Amino acid sequence: MTLVQNFPFFCIILSMFSAIISFPMNHRWAMRVHLIMVTVVLALSLCVLGYTVSTGESYTFMMGHFPAPWGNEIRIGVLEALMAVFFSLIMLLSVLGGLAHIGRELKNSRKNLFFILLDLLMSSLLALIYTNDLFTAYVFIEINTISACGLIMIKKEGRTYVSALRYMVMSLVGSSLFLIALTLLYTITGQLLMTPAKEALAELVAAGEYEVPILVIISLVTVGLGIKSGLYPFHTWIPDAYGYTTPSASAILSSLVSKGYLFLLIKIFYRVLDFEFVVSSQVVNLLFMLGILGMIMGSWLAIKTQNIRRMAAFSSVAQIGYIYMGIGLGTTAGVVAALFHIISHGAMKSLLFISISGLSEVSDDKSDFESLKGAGFRNKLAGVAYTVGAMSMIGMPLLTGFISKYMFASAATTAMQGKMVIAWIALAISTILNTVYFMGSVLTIYHSVPAEQRKPHGMMPSRVESVGTVGLIALNVGLGVAATPVIQAIQTGLAIFG
Amino acid sequence: MIALLIPVLMPIAVGVLLMAFPPRQRKIMLAVVFAALAIGLALAIGVALQPEDALRLTLGTVAEGLTFYLQVDAVGKLFSVLVAFVWLLVGLAAFEYMSHEHDEPRFFGFYLIVEGVLAALCYSGNLFTFYVFFELMTLTSVPLVMHELTHEAVMAGLKYLFYSVGGAFLSLFGLFLFTAQGAELTFTAGGVLDSTSASGVARLAVFLMILGFGTKAGMFPMHGWLPTAHPVAPAPASAVLSGVITKAGVLGILRTVYYVAGPELIRDTWVQYAWIGLTLITVFMGSMLAYRENVLKKRLAYSTVSQVSYVLFGLSLLQPVAFVGALLHVVFHSLVKNGLFLSAGAIICKTGKTKVDELKGIGKEMPVVLWCFTLAGVTLVGIPPTSAFVSKWYLATGSLASGIPVASWLGPVVLLVSALLTAGYLLTVSIDAFLPGSDYNYAALEKHEPTWQMLVPIVTLTALAVLLGVWPGGLTSLLTGIAGSVL
Amino acid sequence: MSPYFILVPILVPILAGILLMTFPIQDYKTRAAAVETVVILNTILVFVLLLNRPAERLYLFSFVEGLPLTLNIDGMATFFGGLVAFLWPLATLYTFEYMRHEERVNTFLSFYTITYGVTLGVAFAGNIVTMYLFYEALTMVTLPLVIHTMTEEAQKATRKYLNYMIGGTAFAFIGIVFYSLFCTDIEFVLGGNLDVANLGEYANIALLVYVLAFFGFGVKAAVFPFHGWLPTASVAPTPVTALLHAVAVVKSGVFAIMRLTYFCFGADFLKGTWAQTVVVIAAMVTIVYGSTMGVRENHFKRRLAYSTIANLSYILLGVTMMSPLGLMAGLCHMFVHAIMKISGFFCAGAVMHQTDKNYVYELDGLGYAMPATFTALLISGLSLTGIPLFAGFVSKWSIVQALLEQPSMMGYVGVFVLLYSALMTGIYMLSLNVRGWFSGGTVAREANAKFHDPSWLMLLPLAIFSVITVALGLNAQALLVFVQSIATGTF
Repeated sequence: MTLVQNFPFFCIILSMFSAIISFPMNHRWAMRVHLIMVTVVLALSLCVLGYTVSTGESYTFMMGHFPAPWGNEIRIGVLEALMAVFFSLIMLLSVLGGLAHIGRELKNSRKNLFFILLDLLMSSLLALIYTNDLFTAYVFIEINTISACGLIMIKKEGRTYVSALRYMVMSLVGSSLFLIALTLLYTITGQLLMTPAKEALAELVAAGEYEVPILVIISLVTVGLGIKSGLYPFHTWIPDAYGYTTPSASAILSSLVSKGYLFLLIKIFYRVLDFEFVVSSQVVNLLFMLGILGMIMGSWLAIKTQNIRRMAAFSSVAQIGYIYMGIGLGTTAGVVAALFHIISHGAMKSLLFISISGLSEVSDDKSDFESLKGAGFRNKLAGVAYTVGAMSMIGMPLLTGFISKYMFASAATTAMQGKMVIAWIALAISTILNTVYFMGSVLTIYHSVPAEQRKPHGMMPSRVESVGTVGLIALNVGLGVAATPVIQAIQTGLAIFG
Repeated sequence: MIALLIPVLMPIAVGVLLMAFPPRQRKIMLAVVFAALAIGLALAIGVALQPEDALRLTLGTVAEGLTFYLQVDAVGKLFSVLVAFVWLLVGLAAFEYMSHEHDEPRFFGFYLIVEGVLAALCYSGNLFTFYVFFELMTLTSVPLVMHELTHEAVMAGLKYLFYSVGGAFLSLFGLFLFTAQGAELTFTAGGVLDSTSASGVARLAVFLMILGFGTKAGMFPMHGWLPTAHPVAPAPASAVLSGVITKAGVLGILRTVYYVAGPELIRDTWVQYAWIGLTLITVFMGSMLAYRENVLKKRLAYSTVSQVSYVLFGLSLLQPVAFVGALLHVVFHSLVKNGLFLSAGAIICKTGKTKVDELKGIGKEMPVVLWCFTLAGVTLVGIPPTSAFVSKWYLATGSLASGIPVASWLGPVVLLVSALLTAGYLLTVSIDAFLPGSDYNYAALEKHEPTWQMLVPIVTLTALAVLLGVWPGGLTSLLTGIAGSVL
Repeated sequence: MSPYFILVPILVPILAGILLMTFPIQDYKTRAAAVETVVILNTILVFVLLLNRPAERLYLFSFVEGLPLTLNIDGMATFFGGLVAFLWPLATLYTFEYMRHEERVNTFLSFYTITYGVTLGVAFAGNIVTMYLFYEALTMVTLPLVIHTMTEEAQKATRKYLNYMIGGTAFAFIGIVFYSLFCTDIEFVLGGNLDVANLGEYANIALLVYVLAFFGFGVKAAVFPFHGWLPTASVAPTPVTALLHAVAVVKSGVFAIMRLTYFCFGADFLKGTWAQTVVVIAAMVTIVYGSTMGVRENHFKRRLAYSTIANLSYILLGVTMMSPLGLMAGLCHMFVHAIMKISGFFCAGAVMHQTDKNYVYELDGLGYAMPATFTALLISGLSLTGIPLFAGFVSKWSIVQALLEQPSMMGYVGVFVLLYSALMTGIYMLSLNVRGWFSGGTVAREANAKFHDPSWLMLLPLAIFSVITVALGLNAQALLVFVQSIATGTF
């Protein structure tokens, strides 16, 4: 076993360790530890990615001394490594982009807690990416939930409590459903590790036994993880959760947290249930429909809101709808498109939330459109960044959103004709709706205002924030022009995923 | 030969120069205009005396199938000489009439420009060239209609413009269709198109062209502009509009049916029958409306509507005798109507009276004018030995000989009824003018006779109108020759 | 010439515009000189490029596999690029005078110049993906121009403009995706590269996709019922309306449809199908609608906007005949209409700039005060109506030739639609001149005596356009031969 192969394990341990040692530290050190940790994770994940691409195979890594099927393992392939790279990159840029806010908005006593929660979040995301064991997945789902909850209410205002509570309730419902499904699976197959579970299930399906329980398992897993990731109509917690917390947290929550669950869902579809089987069970059709509904309704609700952060949050609902539509197409191309969009949306949404915070901090920290008029002149970088993000969301070529749209549209041609046409029309309508509110908000922030309103009201943007913002812009553009290697990696990874 | 352009360009150039650099002295302006008109007539006669082969000129190609081509044949000669002659006489009368108006340079400028355009129209050798100058004729005559610049005049001018443009576009359909089918649309006696393989669409196209050019000729249902435009224009303009420009529409139909499509294309088809029907309706309707109209110039306008459709009726029969009658009537009606309008103009100019019921006893005040008016009226009714009798005789006999069901006898009947109505609307004016009755104020009688500038044209036109009826020979033989070539 | 040179005329204006925004020039004369120099320089570059066409296309990179970004100078690119390059310096000249008393001229001129480069990008695109990129970019860079005056009205107009545009491209996108997956080669080639043999059950879907893409690109081409943005956008300053909404933006729309029809899906594939019927009817409806609304509209620029709507569908009527003659006619009218309409809008702008009059009924008697302007308007109006001796007749003629090439009910109806529209055009264009010269009497003439024609900066472009209109009306052989060679592939 080469050194590189140990890296995923190192990453998980490192992040948990960072969380633990940050407890007694003051916030400055906690921040430094976190940033270093994420950078290291990024670097290590890049190495793993390089390694897996060159070997073209996935390998399993034993956690502890007990081999499968009794022990615990993690499995690393091209796809997992790619996800790890992007998740850590986005987390890094988001934290950098919102660093000054963390400094300002939180009380000193809480600041190190913030970074601890981020560390935990990183570890649980990595674990969800790499794990090959269902129960471990459940454990880290819960860790994920709790960290996310903590991040939501870190600001300790009235509204954040309510949103956190709402989030908790819905999220735990989702987790419970997942747990029940897990229990059922264990009962009928006796396995907790994914690969052996798959073999066992395959035998059961071939024998025609336990048909109904298997169907229930699929449904519960889907709905459970669907609730947690914001599938329509289980999205109601999202606008509040993303809308009121600090910018970094919003960015990370919307870009990463729900994506972790989505990735897990795809992993279960491929590695436990066998994707073909899932397709034949018609569950994908349900996902397709709900995905499309989410696409349209999310945008529809976004148009009606007057607060820019809630608007971005509703937009996330729509974007998650895209991902579910991709999965719901029921073909490999659809899943590839969905996976690409996980990465792509992460890049876009973080950029948007960071730039939104940049815009509102020069507008007396307000987020409603009326106050944001002319904000683009007050904070030029944030304005440009927001415009780039908005254009990416509506699918402007040269930006990553266009590639996502293209992937979805071409994946649609591999599905049935009916789904294809519906998907296309939904994509078109969704683009139009996106335009209405995103470009509408761009016009608002560049609304002509008298000269005295062109000076920042409130804080000046900081250097560090600029680094994060520019990095996210570069990521959007980079994915927009050089997406081919990423897509190829996803395709290779998906082939060896199951 | 390039010399063909001179009768076209000379009046246009003079007209443009007149508007750009109006002479300070009125006398100089009038002298220039008169000279231009006289030279124009001389040129027209000169061209008419040349042999036909020499009179061709290709000017250039806009696109494939769209060539400017001038070619003077017998019809062209006839029309061009008529135009130039009338233009000179009416122009002379205009000198006096327009002395009471304003903006004379603009009037005379456009008057000359229209003459040049009409010359080009008469000399056109193919359908495209004809269409070009037809449109130009409309555009350049609009300022004449609008001359008074009152709101009424402008609205009337717009109505004229839009009707004419609309009509032109109807004929454009035919131009489009035939060129798309690859036909070379040079005017050739007897037609160019192949009548045996013609489709229903080709016939429809010919019908639309008849309607389209017929707009200019005031044929029902496109006559609506005529009674509105003629009264508001200054009398000389009304004269040429009624007397000459309507004939451009006739020329258009003539060229379409006899020199492009060929009479065989529409003979005994719905196109011919519809055409005959429309002309007869117009003949009757025009006379009726004239009879009931009180404003003098409008009455004369309705009369034009009716009379020009006599011509169209003759052409629609596709019969040589009727053809001769039609072309005779072109000449005669032109002379008569110009005379009538100039008389009306003299009345307006001298007394300001525009309505018929104001004209009691005016024969006593302006005897020469009203004598000419009466003679012209008599001619128009068709009483021998005046000219219009000859033309109507040819029309009637041609109609009876045509062998077309119903129309062959209905035609002469309608002509007769119309003649009666014509007497009613023209001769009653004369009667009231000369015999006003007992309540006329003889004491206040003043002579208002106009000067020689108006009298000479009026008398000349009337005299010709009568005399050509007595000696029509030269004209009829010329026209019979043309008829033979096309039918 | 190296293919890399194709990038130069696209990038030069974009960079110049960005430079002007970052380092604004305060003195308006210096600024004007600088901008005009750049624009003229770029035009020269374009013509050098077009006269020394690179032998092969330029490949830049691929978004994903199957979506390459390429630039190529073929017949169509020469035509559209040449037209745009010819008109831009004249329009910019006009802009200086017009915007002299406005605010934020620096930003305006920056984006105006950037639009030049982006429009060339649309013209030079080598395949439909590249064209889509520049097409979207065109929408974005024209936004600041439409919203320039920042009035309430301008903002609403801009939002409408934006939503319509992106809405259109959202549906055009479907066409691009479908084509990229079902073509043998995505590059533009006359006759299309759709893999017809292997379409199988997707043949009907292909037609549906074509119709969606037609209407999608058709938004920029103001096809009914997606024309609504155009009259509303007249609220922008006249240089914007004239150049962009009579030339650059809307002609990009018809250009895109030409590319879509003849160079992607292929005319032979579409001919005779229900898809053709749908798009022909759409063009006809638009013509009737635009012409009729033009008569009813009293706002000067909006009237011209409706005229544009109708005229764009003249082009599309030719294009949808799915024949070389049809493409030829469409190209001919594209050129002729650009000249006529930009002249018309410049006249309207001159009137508005000199007199602040926006409505048609205010024009009474103004012709004597502004004779040069009204003469140019007369020439433009006569040409738009289709009076022979003016360019408009020739292009309508060629459209009719395409319509009547094969006897069909659709062809005849099309001709009647054109004739109806011509009559309406006559009414709404010629009445402007009648008002100017014949209405209002001496009262109006005296009231208008204080106005006069604009300066040479505005008059020179007008004069040039009028001369071209008449010259083409007298002899259009050169233009017709050129577009015929493009349409038949012999260029």
